[in-house]
Amino acid sequence: MTSEYVIEMNHIRKEFPGIVANDDITLQLKKGEIHALLGENGAGKSTLMSVLFGLYQPEAGTIKKDGKEVKINNPNDATALGIGMVHQHFKLIEVFTVLDNIILGAETTGKMGFLKKKEAREKVLALSEKYGLKVDVDAKVEDITVGMQQRVEILKMLYRDNDILIFDEPTAVLTPQEIDELMEIMRGFAKEGKSILFITHKLNEIMAVSDRVTVLRKGKYIGTVNTKDTNKQELSNMMVGRPVQLEIKKDEPNPKDVVLKVEGLTIPSKIHKNNAVKGISFDVRQGEIVCIAGIDGNGQTELVYGLTGLEKADAGTVTLCGQDISHAGIRKRSEAGMSHIPEDRHKHGLVLSYTLEQNMVLQKYKEPRFQNHGFIKFDEVRKYAEKLIEDYDVRSGQGPITVARSMSGGNQQKAIIARELDRDEPLIIAVQPTRGLDVGAIEHIHGQLVSERDKGKAILLVSLELDEVMGLSDRILVMYEGEIVGELNPKETNVEELGLYMSGAKRQGKEAESC
Amino acid sequence: MLRLDPDTGKQKWYGSDGAKSVLSAIISILIGMAVGTLIIVFVGLTKEGISLKGMWEGIRLVFLGVFSTGRDGGELTFGFNPVNMGNMLFRATPLIMTGLSVAVAFKTGLFNIGAPGQYLMGTMGTLTVGLTLGNSGCPVFVAWIAAFLAGVILGGLWGAIPGIFKAFLNINEVITCIMTNWIAANLVTWWFDAHDIFKNSAEGGKVGYIIPLKNVDVVTPKMGMDVLFPGSQANGGFWIACIIAIGMYVMMTKTTFGYELTACGSNRHAAKYAGINDKKNIILSMVIAGALSAAGASLYYLAGNTEFFWSTYLSLPAEGFNGIPVALLAANNPIAVVFSGVFMSMLNIAGTQLKSLTAYNEYIADIIIAIIVYLSAFSMFIKQLLNKRDKKKGGNK
Repeated sequence: MTSEYVIEMNHIRKEFPGIVANDDITLQLKKGEIHALLGENGAGKSTLMSVLFGLYQPEAGTIKKDGKEVKINNPNDATALGIGMVHQHFKLIEVFTVLDNIILGAETTGKMGFLKKKEAREKVLALSEKYGLKVDVDAKVEDITVGMQQRVEILKMLYRDNDILIFDEPTAVLTPQEIDELMEIMRGFAKEGKSILFITHKLNEIMAVSDRVTVLRKGKYIGTVNTKDTNKQELSNMMVGRPVQLEIKKDEPNPKDVVLKVEGLTIPSKIHKNNAVKGISFDVRQGEIVCIAGIDGNGQTELVYGLTGLEKADAGTVTLCGQDISHAGIRKRSEAGMSHIPEDRHKHGLVLSYTLEQNMVLQKYKEPRFQNHGFIKFDEVRKYAEKLIEDYDVRSGQGPITVARSMSGGNQQKAIIARELDRDEPLIIAVQPTRGLDVGAIEHIHGQLVSERDKGKAILLVSLELDEVMGLSDRILVMYEGEIVGELNPKETNVEELGLYMSGAKRQGKEAESC
Repeated sequence: MLRLDPDTGKQKWYGSDGAKSVLSAIISILIGMAVGTLIIVFVGLTKEGISLKGMWEGIRLVFLGVFSTGRDGGELTFGFNPVNMGNMLFRATPLIMTGLSVAVAFKTGLFNIGAPGQYLMGTMGTLTVGLTLGNSGCPVFVAWIAAFLAGVILGGLWGAIPGIFKAFLNINEVITCIMTNWIAANLVTWWFDAHDIFKNSAEGGKVGYIIPLKNVDVVTPKMGMDVLFPGSQANGGFWIACIIAIGMYVMMTKTTFGYELTACGSNRHAAKYAGINDKKNIILSMVIAGALSAAGASLYYLAGNTEFFWSTYLSLPAEGFNGIPVALLAANNPIAVVFSGVFMSMLNIAGTQLKSLTAYNEYIADIIIAIIVYLSAFSMFIKQLLNKRDKKKGGNK
């Protein structure tokens, strides 16, 4: 029996206590096609893919491979069927090297059971070369950037010669050039006859690369359309269920006093011997959004660590609201007027085993409002959390007492943003605030940042997403290898020029840098 | 996953995390007791002179040891035995304290395997100060407090050492704890070896023991224990341990300090991000753990009639290590530690009853404790099984 479809998931239903994550969802993947799966956070995309990958068992529905019904009980079954997956949250062993991570579970061994690492290494290097997925195979995963970790995940799948490839939000951390390259790779795979399931919420990518799109909303199947018969606006309306504003709407900036002044800041690198941030200077004023753009790993993370006090600076001064905070501790800086939406919401942003309300007061628990002689005022904490949940539309299973770990990524991020914006500090440092979020949530967060700007806040945005950089910022500072190589006005530049600065091909003179 | 009541949408009490912890602890205990029963039967079958009746008596004593009132006309009798009950609470006191020590450290993400060393340092501090002040003629009340505090402070400082190594050099606390345990054992031996004034040479046949604190009248008041359990060793130390347990519960769950400690334990990076001094909290957590273990030793020796064998460099006190199963059985809940501590000491009493009333010896009780120790490590696993069962049920609705 042959079938037009290489994988069919028919009428899949998956429930979790309290919610139906997948409600009668049908997904049909043709051989050699790139099929996008589109939906907001919590729409059930990841659940559906986990069902396909054998991580969850559906309550109803069938899965067919080449027309034959199959039962996928665990990821090994999925691998045996040639299904490979790049997970949104990386499944890597931090203390292993890149190479060890790639071959893990698919090791080739000699007669005596010894690992044939040399062959594996050659294969990985060849793949890495072929697809332009630059990795340092001998580096430990804990030492490499998020972007490189993503590439390791992709290589892992390539290494296993899978012919059904699931990409769960693969482009979230890649640079524009890398995204283009990945798109090329995906097209190449499709030509080779491999089938690709591409989970994303980025409409540009869907329009650029996919053949067909299946849209999910709140666990329900909305429809499958041919990409060439649709457009971005229609897709986003299908996804969100209402007309969405795709462009960021904002008025002219009205910058006033300098809030943050950075002079000659130098921060050592943890991985390499050289400095990650090399004596950079800039300032951020009230009522403007200044964006640090750049390819991942050019010192942005370290710069933020240096500003927020997570890492010690070697040299330079940081002045916040006229106060020298170059040597202050983290809490001092935060009290001096700094909000920080961190890059890694699981590592820094939340205590995952704490409840939502406990996380909401992560910095504020010591304020007299929430404690009395060291005893936490639980009623006040609850009230405050409920207010934030209401004001910032944070959705969770059990409201304030939901354990943070059980919330969806988008709502975790919303919770962090609620907490940080509500602290009402003059400076907001937002590091990739919309990373991994869907259109609806991004629209919401962008709107919030713009309204904070209009209230007179100084906002330092670090972003890897060019759309965000171009659309949201009032000034762009491009970082390359730890230095600011250009200051651009988003109205006078374009993505191509920005890309040249980001890749180091172009740089402004010293005199332009200091303005 | 949580089990929700279909009507109210709220969590059912038996689906709560706490209820599952209790259930998994009870399952561990029951398996331990069942294996103990089997061993009694096996020993009975293989050893000459133990009849079927003897086996039955052994089994009953394992389960009801504390209620044993001896023999009447050749038959075991059971009832309220104030001596057994009192001794159970008395022996539970140090276990509760070391259990609290391990539990509090666990909650903050640290594995305090250093309880034996901290316990020994507490012993040294309490005995030294207690005997010195007791002989100096200062008021007993003052001497008691000074002796107790000396033990607690010394234990706290001893606990700080692994904490400092962990905080500043990121050296695993388990390794430093094991090393400080043996350093403590040698240090205590050396200390008492060098000071003959503390050695009990007055009583013949008691070689190598330190003078008990009752000789200088620095003794914990009975606080009604002598009325409740006449003839037993029980004293107010048990009540003090209970109060400390409640205090720890309040500290961990109700205060900003506990909030900070738990935040550091759960996610050191996030705590640091929020401006919490993670290094300080790691050290403080170990100081508290050390102080709690040492307080266990202080309360035990301040009972008065307990004697310390000073040449301890070859072995570590079991009370220290037994804090680990006590904490695990209690799922690190300070209040539950009181109950698991009492339970462990109940098994101990059952062992002594076995020895005195049947042909079995007290090691049966040790075997049961050992099995529960093993299973208590599994109690997390059992809890996961319970969770899994819930998930399946929840999914099949």
